[in-house]
Amino acid sequence: MNAIEVEHLSKIFKVQKSRAGLKGALQDLFSRQYNEVPAVNDISFSIPSGEICGYIGENGAGKSTTIKMLTGILVPTSGKLNVGGYVPHEEREKFVRNIGVVFGQRSQLWWDIGVIESFGLLRKVYGVPEQDYKRRLDELVQRLDLGDLLSRPVRKLSLGQRMRCELVAALLHNPSIVFLDEPTIGLDIIVKTEIREFLKDMNRQYGTTILLTTHDLQDIEALCSRVIMLDEGRIIYDGGLDTLKTRWGQGTRITFQFGTACPLPKLQALTSDLAVSWTADNDLHAEVLVSSDLNVSDVLAKVVGQPEITITDIKITETTTDEIVRQIYQTGSAQNNASDGQVV
Amino acid sequence: MYYIGLVIEYLKNYLKTRLTYRADFWVEVISDLLMQASNLIFIFVVFGHTNSLGGWSEAEVIFVYGFFMIPFGLFTCFVNLWNFSDRYIVKGEMDRILTRPAYNLFQIFLENIDPPGLIGSLIGVVIMIASGSQLGLELVWWHFPIMILFAISATLIYAGIYIALTSLSFYSDSPTGILPLLYNIQNYGRYPVTIYNRTIQFLLTWIIPFAFVGIYPASLFLGRTEMFHMAWLTPVMAIIFATIGLTSWNIGVKKYRGAGS
Repeated sequence: MNAIEVEHLSKIFKVQKSRAGLKGALQDLFSRQYNEVPAVNDISFSIPSGEICGYIGENGAGKSTTIKMLTGILVPTSGKLNVGGYVPHEEREKFVRNIGVVFGQRSQLWWDIGVIESFGLLRKVYGVPEQDYKRRLDELVQRLDLGDLLSRPVRKLSLGQRMRCELVAALLHNPSIVFLDEPTIGLDIIVKTEIREFLKDMNRQYGTTILLTTHDLQDIEALCSRVIMLDEGRIIYDGGLDTLKTRWGQGTRITFQFGTACPLPKLQALTSDLAVSWTADNDLHAEVLVSSDLNVSDVLAKVVGQPEITITDIKITETTTDEIVRQIYQTGSAQNNASDGQVV
Repeated sequence: MYYIGLVIEYLKNYLKTRLTYRADFWVEVISDLLMQASNLIFIFVVFGHTNSLGGWSEAEVIFVYGFFMIPFGLFTCFVNLWNFSDRYIVKGEMDRILTRPAYNLFQIFLENIDPPGLIGSLIGVVIMIASGSQLGLELVWWHFPIMILFAISATLIYAGIYIALTSLSFYSDSPTGILPLLYNIQNYGRYPVTIYNRTIQFLLTWIIPFAFVGIYPASLFLGRTEMFHMAWLTPVMAIIFATIGLTSWNIGVKKYRGAGS
């Protein structure tokens, strides 16, 4: 069963054009001109229950707009939506009982009152029975180690403490689908790891479907089996993280440091029967890129052990997801290298 | 039941936060009362120069003012939309409201609940009793349920007008210049509408019906037969304007664009 189904979803914002200068401002007063800006442009995907899916893209790619449509905050301009059996914006009050939402940039808690009072209020709002609430709260408080924070007012918490409380607030009613919009933004590495672990456990234990947006690809690597990449309101990649890596990863990079000068042509000659490309800053330093269908050891065997080459250091590095994604963002499309239908 | 439970819960939290800022609480109560007092003094000044205003005596006008204070107090307590545009649209707190399983407007009312307003209602009752006994008004049993019905109706009319106008903020980021204007017009409804010219009478009766928040319903208890038919219209107007308010609100929410990222 699919937890989230999206078909040809679009959201177009009308943005007022401001004309320049005082004259322009006066003109704007009487006749306004609008630009139509598609924030989300005809996207389709579906997420089966129990999956953790990462939703990534540059700033302004339309991630938050999608999340806001999926949670019922915004009404789509066109397209079909089904989340947990509901059309979010149509049956909003019934629908939101099944979902949990965390916006990393914005607090869901009441600023002035103690954390535990916020939770109590949320219990009433969601109509969670006293027994269930206690059990759930105990479990979450223990898991996220919140014990002594509960009596403090939200405004006195650090960001990491607040974010853990936000998670509890979003999960008190045991939702089956959870939306996280940049849940790890601005957090230190320890809290980040803690939150990732927690989300993974929750997914395993309750089969919670999770859709998260993030700029930290380590979130994705740690959590997601699948990633949807967005650019200018369109989906440019939808599939496994591994596929993304094998297809767009440029393979392995070997960096050599030489004791004595070793010019580039000589290295190229040594590996002439392998399809690798060399680059060098100077004669003492060279890099070779080995694509993923070749063996690193084959290349090494050609270079290492040549009597006239003295090597002082070798470094082998894999292209990271960060590099892959940066490259895709820069070219604006994953299509360039695409060969099969997984790329949209 | 669910919504009544929520009201109680939010009130509890209001008390918890407010008791930590007790000075604030009293400043608010006192400034509210001073504002009402200044309005009353204005009435006294007017009647210092004349014995009747469009055929209404001083005690009668004060009685109307007393009645007006009841729905006004209820309105300030439960329908506080003053900073809606800033807080919920510009800062985007509407996002949070919309992801909770209670009617969004109701949640906003609850988050901005302002119980000191109710003190104004109480004082309104006292003023009505004082001026009523001065006038020698006869109290009949059915006055009580009707008084409650009219007070609630008047509050709904008030709420309907303000909700409809506040819902404009879903379309534009800075529309609320109209609210202070309205705040001034609402004062007109406390005086006998017959003293105004036809246009203003029509405006206060049918377009922005503030006359139904003061003079019309109060006339029933004063025995001013010429306005009885208008007095009984109060609940009808309440239904109409509450419907207009809620409808325009619900349409507005659909246009909500969210803020920032």
